[in-house]
Amino acid sequence: MLKLDHLSKQYKDTLAVNDLDFEVKAGVVTGFLGPNGSGKSTTMRIIMGLDRPTKGRATINGKSYHDLASPLREVGALLDAKAVNPSRSARNHLRALAASNKIPFSRVDEVLEFVGLTSVAGKKVGGFSLGMSQRLGIAGALLGDPGVLLFDEPVNGLDPEGIRWIRDFFRTLANEGRTVFVSSHLMSEMAVSADEIIVIGRGHFITSGTVDQLTATASGTVLVRAADPIALIQALPTTAQSEALNDGGVRVSGLSAEEVGTIAFAAGIAVYELTPQRASLEEVFMDLTASSLQYSHQAPGVPS
Amino acid sequence: MTPTLWSAIRSEWIKFRSVRSTLTGLVTFIVLTIGISAIVCVAVKSHWNDPGSRFDHLVFDPTSVSLTGIFLAQFAVGTIGILAITSEYGTGSMRTTLSAVPRRVRVVLAKMTVLSAAIIVLGELVVFTAFTIGQSIFKGVVPTASLSATDVLRAVLMAGVYLTLITLFAFGIGLIVRTTAASIIVFTALLLIVPIIVNFLPRALQNDITKFLPSQLGSAMWAATQPAQTFAWGTSTAVLGLYVVVLAVVGSVLLQRRDA
Repeated sequence: MLKLDHLSKQYKDTLAVNDLDFEVKAGVVTGFLGPNGSGKSTTMRIIMGLDRPTKGRATINGKSYHDLASPLREVGALLDAKAVNPSRSARNHLRALAASNKIPFSRVDEVLEFVGLTSVAGKKVGGFSLGMSQRLGIAGALLGDPGVLLFDEPVNGLDPEGIRWIRDFFRTLANEGRTVFVSSHLMSEMAVSADEIIVIGRGHFITSGTVDQLTATASGTVLVRAADPIALIQALPTTAQSEALNDGGVRVSGLSAEEVGTIAFAAGIAVYELTPQRASLEEVFMDLTASSLQYSHQAPGVPS
Repeated sequence: MTPTLWSAIRSEWIKFRSVRSTLTGLVTFIVLTIGISAIVCVAVKSHWNDPGSRFDHLVFDPTSVSLTGIFLAQFAVGTIGILAITSEYGTGSMRTTLSAVPRRVRVVLAKMTVLSAAIIVLGELVVFTAFTIGQSIFKGVVPTASLSATDVLRAVLMAGVYLTLITLFAFGIGLIVRTTAASIIVFTALLLIVPIIVNFLPRALQNDITKFLPSQLGSAMWAATQPAQTFAWGTSTAVLGLYVVVLAVVGSVLLQRRDA
């Protein structure tokens, strides 16, 4: 289990992480979503004990990363797939990691086999494609068979087959009861691969929940087709926004389908179609992060 | 099952021997120490009976002359020491290293242990080889030194120790500076440029400062007879050892404080 406790990170004049306080549950895939530069990688580095938080702390199974006796057996992480010495072979890279945590070398061959790199295990990592490097990074994360796994933008550079593979892989890890925390700036990717989503923007928490919950909270629109669209628009209260469409339909926001139906009935306008339209996760995300961008635009670099 | 310092040392040993730069550096080191030393010995021998070489004869130390290659070879081992840490920063693999071993001082100790072990073993082999080759070149024409003399044996042994300490010295610079290019510049400046600058200082000051320069400490360590403007070999070793400790401590404190 992974827990952030009022975590903040201040760089010289920017607040990269602003009071993040949440728990990542075991047994599900948790997406960590935010636009580029929103503090996802910084948060992950703090969890891994690489960067020092300005305030608060991150704990894994109740302990700070520094206090983990055998860290690779508790946490596996893929932060930057290319951060490997290019002149070392894949096998030696993993062996050095294994030795540092007293993990037997037989495990190195197992994880290489699992990610499908056995045939190139003796080759220098410098010649690997980004996809192969990602697989090597995953092998490194799995080395100690840890209960908590962190992946920073894991689908970057993967081909469609690789993306499919990694989604199934996250699912399997979660089903085994592990904590799986995956960052991404791609809403569409998180919509299909994550159970729970935590959205951040400019370092601070925006919202969290399941995909369904996130789309439900967003105000949807109602598509109406009426005999007299102009009369319908005039009949709507000023608090609602409406937009006449080219095909004669009207898109109404700020009202539910029931409310629109009732208004049309009261005004004596015949209605042919009345469809509630749910916002896509993409739209919800754009909405949420756009407001966070605006917020920070008004107050650039305000210290906590 | 709990990892120890020994696990970190094993890990660093795997890293040390699994990159090409280590092999290149060590081969360069061997070739330079033995090769340059031999060339200088041949040159000394061929001009030994030249008219006007009397003064050379007076200050001649067959031991240190047969080890002259060290002047150049120390940059090869220095680079190995620097790369042991800066290559991790350069490639970003430092983050992986520190994730696997969050106790950062342990990483420093492990790297220093691996460097020391590798350079002391290879260094002693190389300096004894260079010494032996040098004396066999001198034989018959130039006075030779023998390992049966304690000062000679000590000088050759300390040559290997000097190379090990200078490797750790370079490592300490790398630990603080973090980039390869800047570390090599600082290391080279301290060994080559600072002595030139000191030369321009008033003589009284010069004599005091020169003794503390790493290159001068080295000269005292691997000469059978104490050269001018140096501490005794024992003091020199201690001073250089102190530099290594100071750099390692400062580097470790910075490593603890900095974000990786």
